[in-house]
Amino acid sequence: MDLKKEIRKSWVIMIKEFRQIIRKKAFMIPMFMFPIVMIVFFGYGMGGTVKNADVLIVNDDTGIASSSLVQEIGSFIPKYGDDKMFSITYTKDMGQSEAERKIDSGLYKAILIIPQDYSERVARNESVTLTLLTDSSDTSSSSIIINFMKQLFSGTSSSLVTLKIPDIYGKLQYIDFLTPAVIALTVFMGTIQTMGYAIAGERQDGTLVRIMMTPVSRGAIILGKTLHQLVLQLARAVVLIIGAIVILGVTMNGSWLLVALVLIIFTLSAVGLGMAISAVSEDMTSFQAISMLIAFPSMFATGVFYPLSSVPDWMRWIAYMVPLSYANDAMRTIMIKGLGLSFIANDLIILALFAIFYFALGVYLFRREV
Amino acid sequence: MESIIEVRNLTKVFNSRGRKITAVNDVSFDVSNGEIFSMIGPNGAGKSTAFAMMTTLIKPTSGSIKVAGFDAENEDDRIRPIIGIVPQKLSLYPDLTARENLELMGNLYDVPKKVMEERIEYYLKLVNLETHADRFTGGFSGGMKQRLSVISAVIHDPQIIFWDEPTTGLDPQTRQAIWKLGRKFNTEGKTLIFTTHYMDEADKLCDRVAVMNAGKLMALDTPENLKKASNSTSLEEVFIHLTGEEIRD
Ligand SMILES: Nc1ncnc2c1ncn2[C@@H]1O[C@H](COP(=O)(O)OP(=O)(O)OP(=O)(O)O)[C@@H](O)[C@H]1O
Ligand SMILES: [Mg+2]
Repeated sequence: MDLKKEIRKSWVIMIKEFRQIIRKKAFMIPMFMFPIVMIVFFGYGMGGTVKNADVLIVNDDTGIASSSLVQEIGSFIPKYGDDKMFSITYTKDMGQSEAERKIDSGLYKAILIIPQDYSERVARNESVTLTLLTDSSDTSSSSIIINFMKQLFSGTSSSLVTLKIPDIYGKLQYIDFLTPAVIALTVFMGTIQTMGYAIAGERQDGTLVRIMMTPVSRGAIILGKTLHQLVLQLARAVVLIIGAIVILGVTMNGSWLLVALVLIIFTLSAVGLGMAISAVSEDMTSFQAISMLIAFPSMFATGVFYPLSSVPDWMRWIAYMVPLSYANDAMRTIMIKGLGLSFIANDLIILALFAIFYFALGVYLFRREV
Repeated sequence: MESIIEVRNLTKVFNSRGRKITAVNDVSFDVSNGEIFSMIGPNGAGKSTAFAMMTTLIKPTSGSIKVAGFDAENEDDRIRPIIGIVPQKLSLYPDLTARENLELMGNLYDVPKKVMEERIEYYLKLVNLETHADRFTGGFSGGMKQRLSVISAVIHDPQIIFWDEPTTGLDPQTRQAIWKLGRKFNTEGKTLIFTTHYMDEADKLCDRVAVMNAGKLMALDTPENLKKASNSTSLEEVFIHLTGEEIRD
């Protein structure tokens, strides 16, 4: 097999794919609009950002530990613009049922109850349970408050290094949280969808078989279609991120190179998955059905719209099995926290394993079924 | 005359949802270099399946095929460049122009750019598509599509041409135009193998006809000899005589 020829033919196929996709206006426009609409509508419309949410702290303890905790919460309230996210009121002597009623009536977004023996137990190194009631009808606020508190307490129980954590969330705007994951989600769904056109669609209209009758190896066909996806998805992600920064003022604290690295590995796994789905579906209709079945859980179980820590356990197990979760995490770590390679190494390794697995599966099924 | 295709005991069994379908059943025949050879037979007789194996798209269950001396199973990379295929199912890219479709084929068959451009101009004129060269083929009529398919299969100047039902669903003018092309390619020395459900086409055009039925080769001879053998006046009578009257599923 002549490698130069094969690569030249992959190139020819890639160019063809580009011509086709660019001409699919009905597809190209939503491809860019969909994520923007999602960011704008979810980011602003759903009121993801918490501003001046009323939080009540019920402190029945008079010890040192509880007062320092209360102080900590008070001094690290994250800000959104000029507004504080929470406005805190303090009280004593309120039972849980009474607190629940206050939340029902919409007086508070959240109520934290510190038990009477908190300081004592902390001093004796015993476990202690605090109760945090939130208004879960306002999912965004409550999840943000829950996360804030969780972070705070995960620090407190071990040492006093709690100060850093609220700092991270201090920058949090829902749209910042949303955008990196929407980019990843877009890459994921977009890749699967275009792979569907490129394989299941072409198989249905007979063009794929025609190509396979020419002196082109299947490897070259797969390479051509994969290259097309990589270029298309990276270009789209860059355009979307720049758009989000310029138009929506989204934060981009990290390295573009790392974003590209994550997206390349992630796109490869989506290409493999798209290829596998295409190969087993008889036509475009069944392709759509199967890909929807995969897209929806990925969309809602992987922490695109809310932090993974706030989804139920069973959903989190689904999330662990979907590469999108790791891409979301890596994208957020880079874009929001501005952290480097070592902080996304785990995500990258897992994404690479997914990519290898899905790609191998895709190639295997493509060779067998198509 | 020397054989350009040698088919020996060719069998193809498909496993379709747990059911075994013998699409081609122990078929042997030769196609001579430079002849026009047709395969006829009822729906499901196995013509397209035989084509798919001869054009190296699928592998036989058993038996062997040699095309231009190359083994279809192991030397497909030698066979593909010298054959041109018009599949039964139309397979042009609707969102590419006529010219882009032709260029794609030219590139995949490694035709040098300059030669390719010349051939594209020549063939587009030959089938009266030159004014439509830069239109998307999605908007073409059935006849235009088929004319384009036919020329896209010769852009690499193949030695052997396979046409699977090239005239089905076309008007008489287009059918005639296509057969004219077939004869032209044949006089240029190309071997032409085609399938059809129009008996008059097989009768008029080809040197020899293979009649297939339910995966079996029922007869293979010149149209004249076939008619003589079954005392028929037309190939249609021969066809019914050899394949029976019942309608296939
Ligand atoms: N990929 C496949 N999987 C399963 N069965 C198949 C496959 N391709 C063809 N068959 C079956 O093999 C038999 C022969 O089909 P084939 O397409 O070769 O017939 P044909 O002679 O070309 O018919 P037609 O004149 O309708 O085009 C049919 O029964 C068909 O259903
Ligand atoms: Mg057929």
